[in-house]
Amino acid sequence: MAHSLSPECTPLKHAYDSCFNTWFEGYLEPAVSPSSSEQRAQYSKKKADEFEERCGKVWVEYKQCVQKAVKDKGLGDLLDQARVENPLRDPPPAPSPGEVSSSSSSSQ
Amino acid sequence: MHFFSQTFKYEHPWSHVVIGMWHKYPNPHCTHVVTVDVVDRSIDSKSGIIRTERVLGCKQKTPIWIVKLFGGSEDAFVREISFVDPASQVATITSVNLSLSQFATCFERIQYTPTSSGHTAFLQTAEIQARMAMWRSMADKFETWLVQRFEQNANLGKAGFTDVLRTMWEAKQQQAAHS
Repeated sequence: MAHSLSPECTPLKHAYDSCFNTWFEGYLEPAVSPSSSEQRAQYSKKKADEFEERCGKVWVEYKQCVQKAVKDKGLGDLLDQARVENPLRDPPPAPSPGEVSSSSSSSQ
Repeated sequence: MHFFSQTFKYEHPWSHVVIGMWHKYPNPHCTHVVTVDVVDRSIDSKSGIIRTERVLGCKQKTPIWIVKLFGGSEDAFVREISFVDPASQVATITSVNLSLSQFATCFERIQYTPTSSGHTAFLQTAEIQARMAMWRSMADKFETWLVQRFEQNANLGKAGFTDVLRTMWEAKQQQAAHS
């Protein structure tokens, strides 16, 4: 598991990552199987609550630690600015077929 | 602006690739990524879409002239936002550099989708762009400075030559007057 940008946050990060990964692996397989949107919403709500219950506490601790580390590294303003420029709150649209090619290109 | 794109196929089902996403680092092939931190995560209780915002810390051998010119360091940080949508089976990862972002941006997008054969298609695009406004204003300043210097020098040159001509011909005239 990769380290945190601040060594003091690494133990919390590892605990949080492990918690998320375990939850995620259990979440994904049933989540992809086809079901009605009603069933999906029911399942998503149940799993979201379960994640909060299992990983919520360690997340609060880790988040606090990493937020401080981000500020200490001088990344706070850069991150805020990036969030204003590209909020990315919703999934981006699929790339148009024209953008897809298997080679790299460059233009001015 | 430079564009880059590539496609690839992973011979694993989509769910395995998406689970693997969280285990990519540390990676002996990508030793430049040294730290990974989740800074925000939400699970939409309706759609089931998981949004994760991470900050990746990279160590790379930056050319010394870039470090000197832009005042950067060997540590570079990237903001990464991923969406995992189990309903549509699409995972997208968008990355933008945080370090040196006042000079140039590298906007990368990766998408994982299932193929009909039960494998996973990988699509990567990137746009690399220098902040032209910055370059233009710097170029404008440089141009103005050059114009001013040129005008100054041109004036000095004119004054200098005027003196040379005056001294030369005044002396000749004096000589002529004496002879």
